[in-house]
Amino acid sequence: MKHTKGEKVFQVFNIIIMLLVCCLMVYPYLNQVAISFNEGIDAMKGGIGIFPREFTWANYKAIFSTKSMYTGAVVSVSITVLHTLLCLVVLFASAYGITRRGLPYRRGLTLFLMLPCYVSAGVVPTYIIYRYLGLINSYWIYILPGCFSFYNMVILRSFLQELPASIEESAKLDGANDIQIMYKIALPLSKPVLATITLWVAVGRWNNWTDAMMYITDRKLFPLSYIMMQLIKESSLAQQMADDSGMITSVAKPTPDTIKAATLVVTTLPIIMVYPFLQKYFIKGVTLGAVKG
Amino acid sequence: MKTKNMAMSLNTTKNRHGICSNLYNYRYAYILLLPAIIAVIMFLYLPMFGLVIAFKDYNIFDGLWGSPWVGLENFKAVLEHKTMMKAVRNTLVLSFINIFGGLPFPIILAILFNELWNAKFKKVVQTLSYLPHFLSWVSVVGFCYSLLSIEGPINNLLIQICGEEYVAKNFLMESKYFMPIAFLTALWKEIGWNSVIYLAAITGIDSSLYEAATIDGANKLQQTWHITLAGIKSTIVVLLVMKLGTLFGGNFELVYGLQNVFTIDDTEIIGTMVYRAGIQNGDYSTATAFGLMQGLISVILILASNFMSKKLTEVSIW
Repeated sequence: MKHTKGEKVFQVFNIIIMLLVCCLMVYPYLNQVAISFNEGIDAMKGGIGIFPREFTWANYKAIFSTKSMYTGAVVSVSITVLHTLLCLVVLFASAYGITRRGLPYRRGLTLFLMLPCYVSAGVVPTYIIYRYLGLINSYWIYILPGCFSFYNMVILRSFLQELPASIEESAKLDGANDIQIMYKIALPLSKPVLATITLWVAVGRWNNWTDAMMYITDRKLFPLSYIMMQLIKESSLAQQMADDSGMITSVAKPTPDTIKAATLVVTTLPIIMVYPFLQKYFIKGVTLGAVKG
Repeated sequence: MKTKNMAMSLNTTKNRHGICSNLYNYRYAYILLLPAIIAVIMFLYLPMFGLVIAFKDYNIFDGLWGSPWVGLENFKAVLEHKTMMKAVRNTLVLSFINIFGGLPFPIILAILFNELWNAKFKKVVQTLSYLPHFLSWVSVVGFCYSLLSIEGPINNLLIQICGEEYVAKNFLMESKYFMPIAFLTALWKEIGWNSVIYLAAITGIDSSLYEAATIDGANKLQQTWHITLAGIKSTIVVLLVMKLGTLFGGNFELVYGLQNVFTIDDTEIIGTMVYRAGIQNGDYSTATAFGLMQGLISVILILASNFMSKKLTEVSIW
C-alpha cells in the first residue's frame, strides 16, 4: 500500500500526539513514585519529575512502621479475596439457574433481580437498615452486600446462553443432574468470562473506600483505600505519621507529602502490577457487554 | 416423585399439576438462584423500607416505626434548603460539562487510534490509556492534590510559560477552579476507556467505503467526517442519551475527594450533600427526602433515556 506525503505527515503528527497521551497517562503515577522515594524536606521544594532527587527508603519504612497500614493491608487483601470468591459463587449459580431452558417465572425473577438497578433505597435508609442488620462496624459489610450484581450476571448469562444445548442434553442422557452439569461442564467452559468478572469485582473491592467511610468507625477495620483517602483529606493525620516516624529514621525526614505519595504507591501497586498481564481480560468485559447491546 | 403424586391427587385441574411438577423439575435451578435472591432482598429491597423516614421525623430513640409521621414536611424543608438547592444546581452543571464537554475527546482519541499504522504501537498506547480507569478515585484525587499543589508540576509549568510575574496558585483551595479540575480529572481517568466502544464502532465500518471515497478523490479529513463520523453517529447518539439518564447522579467519590474546607460551601453535589446531612450530621429525614427526590428523578430520566435509545436503534441495554 502506497501512502501519500500528506498521509505520512499526518502519521508522524499522530504518533507525536499518541506519545503525549502516553506521557499524560503515566506521568502522575511516576511522579508519585519519584516523590515517595525522595527525602521529605527536599521534596517540599517541589520540582521533582519522574526521578527522585535525594533517594531514600525512609518514607516506606515510615508507613510500614505504623500499625494502621499493616491492619489496612490485611483488611484490603482479605476482603478482596473473600468478597470476590463469594461474588463468583453467587453470580455463577444465579446465572446458571436463570438460563435453564423453560424455567418457570424466569421473566418475573429477572425483573425482581433487575429492579434494584433502577430504584435504590439511597444512602441514609440503607445505613439505617444495615444498622438493624448489625452490619455497621462489622467486617461483613465488605463481604456480603454487593455479592450479587445484576450487570455481571447479565454478562455471565449471555455467555451461558451461547453454550450449545447438545452438550447439556447428552450429559442429561448420561444421567447427570443440573448441579453436576453446572459443575462439570458449564463451569470449566466459562473460565474466560469468569476471569473477566473476577478482575472487575476484585479491582472494585480493592479500590472501594466509601463502604468504610459510611459504615465503619473502627480504625482496625479500615482498608488501605480509605486510609489513603483520610491521609488526603486530613492533613493532620499525615503530619502525625510523619512525626511518629521521625524517631525511627534520623537521617531522612518524611513529610506529609512523601508519606501520602508512598501510601498512594502502595495502594495502587497491586493494580499496576497485575494490569499488564491481565489487561486483555479487563477489556474483554466491555465487548461482552456491548455484544449483549 | 412424592411431591408429584401428592400434587396429582390434590389437584384435579391439569394446569396446576403442571406448574407443581414443573417447579419440582426445576428445583436445582431455584436452589442456585436462592443466594442471589436472598442477597437482593436483604441488601437492596429491605433498605427500601427505610425510605419511610422521608415522611417521618426520624430519631434514633423512637426508631424506624415509632418516630412521628410528618407527611411531606421533609420535602418542603429540602426545597427551602438553600445549600441543597445549590447542590442540585452544581450536580446538573457538573453533569452537563462532563457529558457534553467530555463528548468529543474519546471520539477523537478513537479516530486517532484507528489511524495508527503500527499495530503494536497502537496496542501499547491503548493499554496505557485504559490504565487510569482501573485506578481508584482515591488515587486519582491523590494525584490531583500533588500535581496542583503550590510547588507542584502544574504551577511550575505555568511559571515557565507565563514567566516570572505568574504567582503560583493553590488551585484546589479556590472554588472557581473546582469544576474545571473535576471535569479534567474525570476526562483523564475515563477518556481511554470511553474510546473503546467508539473504536469498536469504527472498526465495524465497511472498509470498501474508504476505498470508494479515495477513488472519488475525498481527502482524509473528508473521509473522517463523511464516513467515520457518519458511521458511528448512532453509537454517539445512543451513548449520549444513556449518559443523559445519569444527569442527576454526579460523581460522589471525585467531588468528595477534591472538596476541602475552603471550597466545600460552593461545591456540594447531591451525593455529598446527602452524605453530609444524613450520615455526618444525623439529619436523617431531610437527607432521605433529598435522596428520594434525586432517586425518583433519576429513575424517570434513566427510563426515558432507555426508551429513547431503544427507539433510536431498536437495541436496548437489556
